[in-house]
Amino acid sequence: MASKQSTMDKSKPIEVSFSTLMKMGLSSKTEWPDTEIFLDWIYWSRQIVGLFLGLIWGVIPLTGFIGLIAFGLCSSGYVYLYCTTHNIDDEEHGGIWEIVKEGFMTNFASFLVTWIITYSCVHFDESLTAQQL
Amino acid sequence: MSLQIDALFIVGISLFTAFLGEGMTYLLVYRTEKYKKLKAEIEKQTKKLEKKKEVLGEAIDKQQKKKLERDEERLKNNNRDLSLVKMKSMFATGFAFTALLSMFNSIFDAKVVARLPFVPISFIQGLSHRNLPGSDFTECSFIFLYILCTMSIRQNVQKILGFSPSRAASKNNSIFAQPGQFK
Repeated sequence: MASKQSTMDKSKPIEVSFSTLMKMGLSSKTEWPDTEIFLDWIYWSRQIVGLFLGLIWGVIPLTGFIGLIAFGLCSSGYVYLYCTTHNIDDEEHGGIWEIVKEGFMTNFASFLVTWIITYSCVHFDESLTAQQL
Repeated sequence: MSLQIDALFIVGISLFTAFLGEGMTYLLVYRTEKYKKLKAEIEKQTKKLEKKKEVLGEAIDKQQKKKLERDEERLKNNNRDLSLVKMKSMFATGFAFTALLSMFNSIFDAKVVARLPFVPISFIQGLSHRNLPGSDFTECSFIFLYILCTMSIRQNVQKILGFSPSRAASKNNSIFAQPGQFK
């Protein structure tokens, strides 16, 4: 899934399991040895945040373009906050723009799917019943 | 309840097609020696080139410039070869998915599969409301939900299976990459 440069041999990629990646990401003392590993963490944590936001937006329900804009702000804000609270040197990983846009489109698609399906499942039958009444 | 079942069914279809597509690509491309060799070569060259650019910075002489250009050209050629290797699988999956898509399209024809929590912008409405009667643009067509699911699931499946190209390699291969930066 993820590749990492070993400290012994810089050109040889090594594998990092998903659970190790999660542990590394959640720890505040992690020193990211490789940009690919760090961006993998950003990618997967963003996916989880996107799914979570889609679920919440669908249940509330948050509708219209406010929902889309709120998602954009929350998703980018999460990455920015993570970098500032964990003292990440963004220049080391290609700049803050590269980090913020990492996996954004996939994240956006995952969010939309969760939002649409949750909204349809939770509220659509109710609104149909209300219309019929 | 049928609406919810349809929506979840479409997620299932996308999951199935994502794994099918990756499976077909594995059989036709990923397991071949040529692909493995080219991929390893590209990764190596990309890292080498990036490192060189980092070390040299802006101040480089003519000879170094020429060397970098030569490396870039070699990398470009390898990327082109890799695209050609991938081409046959792209055709095979393209044919298979077109057939599958037309079958599902006829199953879900004129059927609302989900309710959108927003009204899409006008140029998306053609897709999100495709083959649906009425003018309620919050109704979602099969194709729109399927595309969204595929965008989300395919990329993640590729990443989980380890088939996605490295960021450095895809950055160099992207249409936004500036060729001959050191000219």
